[in-house]
Amino acid sequence: MAVDIMLTILTVVFALMVVFSKKTVVAAFSLLMTLLMIAMIYFQLGTVFISAVQVLINAGAIAILFVFVMMLINLEQFTNNREKSKWKLIVSTVTILVLLGVFALVINNNIETLSVMNLADNSMKTLFAKLFDVYYLPFEMATVLLLAAIVACIVITSHEKHEVAEELAAAKSEDKV
Amino acid sequence: MSIYYYLSAFLFCLGLLGSIFKKDLISILLCLELMMSGVAVLFVLFSKSTGFLDSQLMVIFMMIISACEVAIGLSLIIALYRKKQTIYTDDIKIITE
Repeated sequence: MAVDIMLTILTVVFALMVVFSKKTVVAAFSLLMTLLMIAMIYFQLGTVFISAVQVLINAGAIAILFVFVMMLINLEQFTNNREKSKWKLIVSTVTILVLLGVFALVINNNIETLSVMNLADNSMKTLFAKLFDVYYLPFEMATVLLLAAIVACIVITSHEKHEVAEELAAAKSEDKV
Repeated sequence: MSIYYYLSAFLFCLGLLGSIFKKDLISILLCLELMMSGVAVLFVLFSKSTGFLDSQLMVIFMMIISACEVAIGLSLIIALYRKKQTIYTDDIKIITE
């Protein structure tokens, strides 16, 4: 129980740093730490495979991708703090607190049924048997989705090249005229 | 274990709060990632309390989808930065102009 509370506190602290830190780089590294803490939580819950995948994909790839993109974009932009509208912050904070209260109430009412640990067969063998037996079509669709995302990224970010080529072609045709 | 239910609700709400009041697009994407991880924690907890393995498989699919979302979102941010030299939401008025 002590480990649960410690992990929860650490996750909450890093998550708060993601939202309330002024520098975006700090926020990105806090997100990395939050994702690692969540991986620890998965490990604590006994879902070892999900924990490993979380470290590999979410913490290792996604959070690093954020930092990588920040290197491509001019970092000086992130340091100037724009004036934030106070009313927006206050209203959204109140709304979120109400939402959190509703969630907490719902969890509190069902906590006895929810906190039963069901020790079913939890091995990776049964997990993958189910993945390739019942969920084979979503699995294939996920690969198609990843391929589509790769193509989309290339198309979106290489748009500038086409424009440059068109401008060059236009300049050449003007020279000829 | 029951404390993690509150943690997942907190992570979701915190991400929602951040995505409402943050101004630059990268921070908004970071907060969306926070919301996603809150929901993933909830899925794993359900798998532990009900014994269904389907929830754990849902978490794996969620990771795939969030990887796609982040990749496309960041490439859109880079494309926008090249075009407009800004990543702040209040500088982008393409629709209203």
